Amino acid sequence: MASTGSSSSSANRERDQAASDSDLVVGIATYNHARTAGRLVETIRAALTQIAPSSRARILVADGGSKDGTREWIREAASGDGDLVELSYAVQPGDVLDVPYHGLPGRARALRVLLREAQARKARACLVLDAFATAVEPDWIARLSDPIRDQDVDFIVPSYSRHPFEGALVHGAVYPMFRALYGARLRSPMGSEFACSPRLIEAVLSDPIWESESGQAGIDLWMAATAVSGGFRIAQVPFGPKVTDERNELDLSTTIVQVFGFLFSDMERRVQVWHRIRGSRLVTRFGEAPQDVPGQPEVDVERLAESFRLGCRELQGVWTEVLPPLATLQWRRLAAARLEEFRVEDVLWARTVYDFAMGHRLRVIARDHLLRSLAPLYLAWLASFVLELRHATPEAAEERIERLCLAFEAEKPYLISMWRWPERFRPVKIRR
Amino acid sequence: MRLTSSAADPLWYKDAIIYELHVRSFFDGNGDGIGDFQGLLQHLDYIQDLGVTCLWLLPFFASPLRDDGYDVADFRRIHPDYGTLEDFQTFLAAAHDRGMQVVIELTLNHTSDRHAWFQRARGAPPGSAERDYYVWSDTDQKFKGARVIFVDTEPSNWSWDAEAGAYYWHRFFSHQPDLNYDNPRVLEEILGVLDFWLSMGVDGLRLDAVPYLVEREGTSCENLPETHAVIRSIRRHIDAHYANRMLLAEANQVPADVRAYFGDGDECHMAYHFPLMPRLFMAIHLEDSTPIMEVLAQTPSIPDVCQWALFLRNHDELTLEMVTDEERDYMYLAYTADPEARLNLGIRRRLAPLLGNDRRRIELMTALLFSLPGTPIIYYGDELGMGDNIQLGDRHGVRTPMQWSDDRSGGFSTAPPEQLYSPVITDPVYGYQSVNVASQQDDPASLLRWMKNMVGLRNLFRVFGRGSIELLRPKNGKVIAHVRRFEEDVILCVANLSRLAQPVELDLSVFAGLTPIEMLGYTAFPTIANSPYFLTLGPYGFYWFELQQREP
Repeated sequence: MASTGSSSSSANRERDQAASDSDLVVGIATYNHARTAGRLVETIRAALTQIAPSSRARILVADGGSKDGTREWIREAASGDGDLVELSYAVQPGDVLDVPYHGLPGRARALRVLLREAQARKARACLVLDAFATAVEPDWIARLSDPIRDQDVDFIVPSYSRHPFEGALVHGAVYPMFRALYGARLRSPMGSEFACSPRLIEAVLSDPIWESESGQAGIDLWMAATAVSGGFRIAQVPFGPKVTDERNELDLSTTIVQVFGFLFSDMERRVQVWHRIRGSRLVTRFGEAPQDVPGQPEVDVERLAESFRLGCRELQGVWTEVLPPLATLQWRRLAAARLEEFRVEDVLWARTVYDFAMGHRLRVIARDHLLRSLAPLYLAWLASFVLELRHATPEAAEERIERLCLAFEAEKPYLISMWRWPERFRPVKIRR
Repeated sequence: MRLTSSAADPLWYKDAIIYELHVRSFFDGNGDGIGDFQGLLQHLDYIQDLGVTCLWLLPFFASPLRDDGYDVADFRRIHPDYGTLEDFQTFLAAAHDRGMQVVIELTLNHTSDRHAWFQRARGAPPGSAERDYYVWSDTDQKFKGARVIFVDTEPSNWSWDAEAGAYYWHRFFSHQPDLNYDNPRVLEEILGVLDFWLSMGVDGLRLDAVPYLVEREGTSCENLPETHAVIRSIRRHIDAHYANRMLLAEANQVPADVRAYFGDGDECHMAYHFPLMPRLFMAIHLEDSTPIMEVLAQTPSIPDVCQWALFLRNHDELTLEMVTDEERDYMYLAYTADPEARLNLGIRRRLAPLLGNDRRRIELMTALLFSLPGTPIIYYGDELGMGDNIQLGDRHGVRTPMQWSDDRSGGFSTAPPEQLYSPVITDPVYGYQSVNVASQQDDPASLLRWMKNMVGLRNLFRVFGRGSIELLRPKNGKVIAHVRRFEEDVILCVANLSRLAQPVELDLSVFAGLTPIEMLGYTAFPTIANSPYFLTLGPYGFYWFELQQREP
């Protein structure tokens, strides 16, 4: 592992080694983040000074070979401070061509570098933040790291205040399914920011996932699933709105391929865990949710519905490979519905996601093709969700998401029964 | 430093489902009519898709093949029919890549008479170390207490060797002289063989014919303390040099004698439960759980790190050595309408023909196999319901080519049919045209698909491989019921051995408040109360239930 820059001087290195036990390390993975990384490092430095002036804290920056001056900005922000540790990770050509949904090429490799460094430094807590965050409050660092250092929490994630129409893929599918599978009400199971304990770091670093292709896109979801299903103590911290300079321009279907492709694959790895989990439990929350909720974004519901109708015309053949006849008929009926009657029942949506998980497992068609075909169905669900909640209060929206989650939990036996005895549900084409 | 293994868990064999196959019979990769490692490699995906986690390969070493490879002429060479050592290594790596372990045979009791050791011994002076690799005598009257195992072909355990001018000892065929473990060099040689394969990455060794290693006058020459000392030496050697490997004892003995092969956890990791298998067949034919209950009651406890290997059928005859004379007579009457099906003290049939090709019976027997304590073994082709050909002599009738499709020779080989090592099954019921992988993969109701689901389900629950067993004793003796427990899992298994529907009343009061969830369909049944729990089972029906604490 390369370690360069301000702390690579022999004097600094000696000092680091002499005090190898760090109370807290804050890691950032960067790749052409010149616009935000320097500012972020300044904020972190200020926060570290406030929360733990006597502790041994380090800022770890793993850079993938930025060409826009990111590293220079960071060094300037650090003002030659020895608390900065520069690391590097490899961004491979394929990473740049196939950028993951979280927007950081080679993120898993970056995360591995950060976690290894945290482990080598015997950090009592390791906090990982997004490099594209532009408005990090200084107290966030303490709120994320204190439970790890002081209360034996192993994994803690921020839960940002968002309007329900923002990040609806998480509210409407990833969170309900993750919660039904692993029984933990973790609102941001695929968030790229978290803090973790040495115990969790040791467990995750020994896993072969880091070498796998699929791990590159889904590493954050994997971290959360590992923490939740591995007997680790988890928690979440509610924060205000997240302000970022994120430039993720992935189309929806590619995001779905990445997110659900990983979630579904990970289900196969953890099958002995989620088959035994029933219901869900609250996840410890440190702090109160802020009152300020971002305003409602504009959503063109007609466009969403029309995208679904187009999908319904074009993708019926794919859907019937995984959906049972009744579900196919219900989706067809929806395609014919007027906007004011455009509603997707929770049970239909939950079962549809589960049917796709089964189709993915059984490889009924090419997985990429199958997952892309889920996009119009998701848009239909989103249109229905927006239509139902466009005049709702934040509390009512939250209750609605909770009802959806309960539907995913209630339908879990459907998923388990299909998983255990697939052909009862799967249409089969006989080769002639 | 100990060499690591492909399995991370030292107790991997407890969670395994083993698939037994003969390389020769599985798939012909080079078109010469004989299965080989290239062919096996081509069909590893099929085995992985079936869900089994371990492969057990019958002998593939250099051999004159007078006993299908159990007559080894060179332990370190692959028989050229099956490929090269490089082919084997490629296969081994591919199996490991797929998360499967590989168990091979170590025929340590005897060699072929073509083995260089025997050729050297017969010409060596009496009393020399070379001569003493085998057991020699001037008379064939020693060790009279030892029974003859292959009663249909061998009149004695001694055969005359004209070149040596002496009799040599053999517990099996006369062309398989027994090694002499009283000669320390023999054990050294065998440890060298073991090192050769284990250092290559093989995960386990099946110790063939392990009770017969040492002979002593005035005994049955089976299960002797000296034999156990040899096994402990082998185990010590493995533990000192290798991690997470497994020894499987082939000891066709009564349970108390088999138990000794586990030692105090310092001999074999696994041993076959030979007495259980025929009693499963008896029970289903009698429609009475008594034979199973009795044999389970007689089954001794074993060290925590040890495991029974369970099977319904394998490459040998359905052995009836470990049943009473009366039970053997019953089995012959029940299962061998054709006297040709009898061989030695057993029945040379595959699973499906034994069970009348009755799908429900096959499913029930498989469910019993999977639910009893131990690691189940599936014999290749039984997942399809393949048939046999008892006209082929010896046990060749249950070792016919795997039936892959309805193409010529069942898709096993592109060679002309007359060039195949064995004719394929062609009869109207079991022939490859009607029983084959391709058609069953397409058929959602096929036995293959059912097996795959059952294998997958069993893999979900370590309780089947690791859990305790408690036998329930319902009044209706046609129904067998037992509870398996491991960590938080509590599983209730109930099976109807009758061809007719049966009611059963179970005392489950100890589980009052728990809800039985039928495991195949994940369906909740009525919650258990303090009163008797009633179930009705269809003909040859079975239930597996998870007993769950449900939210009110």
